[in-house]
Amino acid sequence: MKIQQGFSLVQVWRYVGLASLLLLVTWQWTIQIDSSLGISALASGWVLFGVLAFLALFSIRKRLPFMPLAPSAIWFMLHTVGGFLALFLFWLHTDAMGSKGFYGQVLTILFYITSISGVIGLFMEKVIPRQLTCSGVEIIYERIPGEIAAIREEVESLILKCTEEVGTSTLAEHYLETLNWYFQKPRFFLNNVFGGHLSQHWVRQQCMILERFLSEKEREFLDKVYSLAEKKRKIDFHYALQTLLKTWLLVHIPMAAAVTAMVIWHLILIMVFFV
Amino acid sequence: MDENKFGHDQSQYERPNLPYRCGRASLWQTPCNNGPETNGTCGGIQECTPFLKNDRWECRRDKRFGGPCEEGPGSRGECSIQRPPCAPRSTLRTIRGRLVVLAVGVVLALIGSSLALDPSVGSMISISNAGPLSKSHAKFTEKVGCSSCHAAHGTGPIGWIKAVFNDSDLSSQCVNCHSFGGPSFKAHNANMSPERKVADTQCVMCHLEHSGSTVSTKSLTPEQCNSCHKKDFESFEHGHPEFSGKYPYFNRNSIKFDHSSHLNKHFENPKFSDKSPKSCIGCHTITLSDREVRPNIYEVICASCHDSQIKKKELILLRLPELMQNLIDQKSLVQACNFPNAHAKMEEEFLSISTEQPALVSAFLLNIPDDDPEAYEQPLQDLILAMAEESSVPFTELIDSQTETSMSKRLLAGLNPEVLKRAACSWGLNQEYESPSEAKFGGWYADMLEVRYKTAGHGDPVAKSWVEFALAVSKQQDDEDKASRAVAMRDQILSVKDGVGGCVKCHAITEVKESSGGTRLVVDWGYKNEDGRPYVTYKHDDHIEILGAKNSCSTCHIVNKEVDYMASYKEFDAGKWVSNFDPIRKKTCMQCHSETQINLECQNCHKYHFKPSFKKDMLTVKAEHPSSTL
Repeated sequence: MKIQQGFSLVQVWRYVGLASLLLLVTWQWTIQIDSSLGISALASGWVLFGVLAFLALFSIRKRLPFMPLAPSAIWFMLHTVGGFLALFLFWLHTDAMGSKGFYGQVLTILFYITSISGVIGLFMEKVIPRQLTCSGVEIIYERIPGEIAAIREEVESLILKCTEEVGTSTLAEHYLETLNWYFQKPRFFLNNVFGGHLSQHWVRQQCMILERFLSEKEREFLDKVYSLAEKKRKIDFHYALQTLLKTWLLVHIPMAAAVTAMVIWHLILIMVFFV
Repeated sequence: MDENKFGHDQSQYERPNLPYRCGRASLWQTPCNNGPETNGTCGGIQECTPFLKNDRWECRRDKRFGGPCEEGPGSRGECSIQRPPCAPRSTLRTIRGRLVVLAVGVVLALIGSSLALDPSVGSMISISNAGPLSKSHAKFTEKVGCSSCHAAHGTGPIGWIKAVFNDSDLSSQCVNCHSFGGPSFKAHNANMSPERKVADTQCVMCHLEHSGSTVSTKSLTPEQCNSCHKKDFESFEHGHPEFSGKYPYFNRNSIKFDHSSHLNKHFENPKFSDKSPKSCIGCHTITLSDREVRPNIYEVICASCHDSQIKKKELILLRLPELMQNLIDQKSLVQACNFPNAHAKMEEEFLSISTEQPALVSAFLLNIPDDDPEAYEQPLQDLILAMAEESSVPFTELIDSQTETSMSKRLLAGLNPEVLKRAACSWGLNQEYESPSEAKFGGWYADMLEVRYKTAGHGDPVAKSWVEFALAVSKQQDDEDKASRAVAMRDQILSVKDGVGGCVKCHAITEVKESSGGTRLVVDWGYKNEDGRPYVTYKHDDHIEILGAKNSCSTCHIVNKEVDYMASYKEFDAGKWVSNFDPIRKKTCMQCHSETQINLECQNCHKYHFKPSFKKDMLTVKAEHPSSTL
């Protein structure tokens, strides 16, 4: 069975073209309404409402994975294109100025937070998976704690074995003072987010400091510890970036829900007091 | 990394969609095999749930986690591998769900609080507040609140539901306070001809509120104007039609002021040069100028040269003319005048003391020829006797019989009955009347053979009334003789040189049509505002401020020396008037108003509404509406 992994550039441009066409038609419509002394904000508002409703469908689609509603990748692309379309329609609807009332300002701020978080999320969705692939490790986010615990156990058993076989506690003492902190949980989160190598330098430095005090046998154990530290560094890198991929939705989706609530309230007020 | 380690038979299947995750994993420890329960309790206290089979407890640890353990279950069926319970943590999905509920909850709380709060307290943080009103609207709606314009406000949920299905009709709320010179919802508040098919308008088509106190609701765009006007154009520079041939001097001035003769002749005359203004602002008041720069009042700008001329004007109401015989009943006269020795004189041969003709005013009032003593002596002597008996009463009756509405009170205002009576008594005895004093400050007086009125100065009400009377009666007469006498009287009164109505030297006379179909002449006593083009506006003050007060006027207003300005007033038809200024052309404005310099939009020169105003009861609106909440 052929699994659709993504979408082609032609598809992207097709949907961008459709969105641009809708924007152009709406823009011309508002100009026509303005020129006949109508209230163009009503027209652009209804189109914007329709687009926002379509964007909200993406969330519903994700809750219905069993339904044959086109691949998620297509939905994601439509959601992205629709998001940008909504931003332009919002500017058209508000004359790019926004409201001066508290209610309008709240709606504007929520809309912008949702839009900006969406754009940031899109950027991360495009950049981070490639970085993760290049890291040489593949791991499910939920399994990272177990994996780190497993590495830690492996390192600790190596240290014990070294103490038993060599009969000195140099490596063990050094481990307890320095590397033990590193293996407890993911470290250097921000550095990993920005693609830094601080953790690698840090581990290497700790090992280099110790290396000259160790015997040949102990150095073999240290090399194994170092390779496990390197493995853990890659998992930390995964953890940092996958956390970003997971947590931007903690902003985007609640804000989108708030925008939806405000939009419905806005619609009620307009229908009751204006139209 | 060992990929087999996560094979389907090597490890458990991760389910991040469940609400909880292992508490040990959250502390970066090895998570238990079972994971938390769906109710949030730890599911990893024991490795497995032993199964009772044939009275023996069997270990049921999953093959993925090492299969049955060596120790096996205890005798009571408990798993032999026990751990202290962990505190499961929420998964990201659950946290996200809670944040969604929180965000929506905050919005709903804001909506709820804005509905519950008193608008006067919570309007600034009200989630229903669409924004601050313009300064003018904010002031008068501050007590009544939103219901000033939004009828559905404060009507409750049922009212809201009804409002959704009904037209809000905001514009009808606007005209509760605003009024116009024409229909409120017609374009330009004008009654246009049916063939133009102009759609009805709504206030909200152009005026939108809730944009803040500093944003005017009046500002319109050229596009809005172009939406109706067929000749749409890009800007004033490109496409605006040339001004009409008379622009902006369409209507005749009410004051006949010949700028050409004054500027080029009188003001240059050394006799008047010290009194003449140095520039236009010497006469025109620029401090309060707008579309018009009104001239200052007569006393400030005209009196220094013209006041002495006005005070010379006199009206002769009655003159004792030459009489052939004395036809006055002497007994009645003596009785009326109380002259004890008059009878003796009357017995002598009659020789008229006067050789004059009757005054044209009295000739008209009595409808007598002024050149035929035989025809006029009887009615005139009857009038003199009546004056001796009743003073001004006979004049009052004569005057009031000429017009539909009584004018005698105004025409004879200030006339001393005693003076009139004494003069009549003297003339009845064929004697000259000797006035006890001269009318130095103007007013009625009798002297020798005449009853005269001397104007007190500019704006004299009696003189003005006589001008109006003369104009009125000159148009009303059916009798040819009387009509000619009325015209003769009018011409004398309006005589610029001698007549009391010399006012018309400066004040224009206009022939106006009456509803009955006839015409009448009216004098333009006051300065008349230019109101013929209600949709055009111009700010003189702004232009003067930029161009300078002294000589800027002549940039646009250029005197035309060739035009016979005063001649156009000779006929009373205001439509045949010519200005003594050259019309202003579009190119004059374009010296400054071009796209590269100062651009012009429609609203700079054109107003949309016709006579916009406020209704009288506007200020009482606040009191009538009870304060209400949403």
